[in-house]
Amino acid sequence: MAQHSSNQPPQLGEIPKPNTGWIWKTFWVLVGITALEFVFVFLMDPGTLRNTIFIILTIFKAFFIVAEFMHLKHETKGLIWTILIPMGLLIWLLVALVSEGSYVGESIQNALN
Amino acid sequence: MATTSTTQTLSSPSTQEQPRTGTWDGGNEPFKASYGKLMMWFFLLSDAFTFAAFLTTYGLMRHRHLAYTGTNEAFEFSTAYWPIPDKVFNAFPGLHGIDLPLGFVALMTMILIFSSVTMVLAVEAGHRMDKKDVQKWLLWTILFGITFISCQAWEWSHFIAGTDEGTLMEDGTRFFGANLQRNQYGPVLFADLFFFITGFHGTHVFSGICLLIWSFIATTNGTFEKRGHYEMVEKIGLYWHFVDLVWVFVFTFFYLV
Repeated sequence: MAQHSSNQPPQLGEIPKPNTGWIWKTFWVLVGITALEFVFVFLMDPGTLRNTIFIILTIFKAFFIVAEFMHLKHETKGLIWTILIPMGLLIWLLVALVSEGSYVGESIQNALN
Repeated sequence: MATTSTTQTLSSPSTQEQPRTGTWDGGNEPFKASYGKLMMWFFLLSDAFTFAAFLTTYGLMRHRHLAYTGTNEAFEFSTAYWPIPDKVFNAFPGLHGIDLPLGFVALMTMILIFSSVTMVLAVEAGHRMDKKDVQKWLLWTILFGITFISCQAWEWSHFIAGTDEGTLMEDGTRFFGANLQRNQYGPVLFADLFFFITGFHGTHVFSGICLLIWSFIATTNGTFEKRGHYEMVEKIGLYWHFVDLVWVFVFTFFYLV
């Protein structure tokens, strides 16, 4: 993105005009996704499908915050993968332990009955 | 403007020392990012592990307990199953007794997203060496940060005090609110995880506010202007966006799902 490349300090004594269009665009995307989440909270019955939608929307929001606000999209590929690969492994941990939780819960119920 | 140019000429470090060019004396920047920014990224990665551990524990404990299976209207608090978040977090300051599911937490989310925007604006102003704009946007960010943490304080006190009716517990007594040993909303771990996850996040917001106040003072004193760049604001900005990012996940996994 060209508007990010203005990292050089400007000429002395003169301050360039702010370039904030992309910031507000990202802001409205985040507001829009949050509003959409609330539409689903009120118009859809709870269930796996709704939870999946929430998680996908959350990943979208996270993408915009990390890529634009934290500027990761404009860093080198090496840095991007250094951050993303460990986070990807955490998804594995989450899936593994959530299914473990269901199993433990079932075992306790079976032992009680 | 005259003062600006004096301070600029007084301190340009590159003229005072030889630039570092060798591979092992700091001449190379791995990933084309400065040392400070790179270390901030790695710190945030490690911090993300801690938050992921919290949220994974939440997922595990939630699935280990029974889920509520009845209709939304017939829901009642019970220690037998995990509560529906809409029913726990439905209060709004000043609107006592009105059922507003997730209304207050929606407001808190908007405040934090907005503080993230003002933070990017401060970083952007720093790139342009615009001291006045950096000050302005840092102040807005501090204001929204303090508003968010105050909202959280209200939410905590409401959660701890409980509803008017309370809940009839298994031992036949009526219990109001929550502590680490008992709570009226559901299994003991529900309240424990609420305190730990939102508390740990709130601690991060608090330290973020401290860093922001410090960087506001440093900006006002002209520290960054003398240094020739506002990279410190950028690094604190990374931290602040991370706090917002964590809230996005806490919001989904604690309040929505």
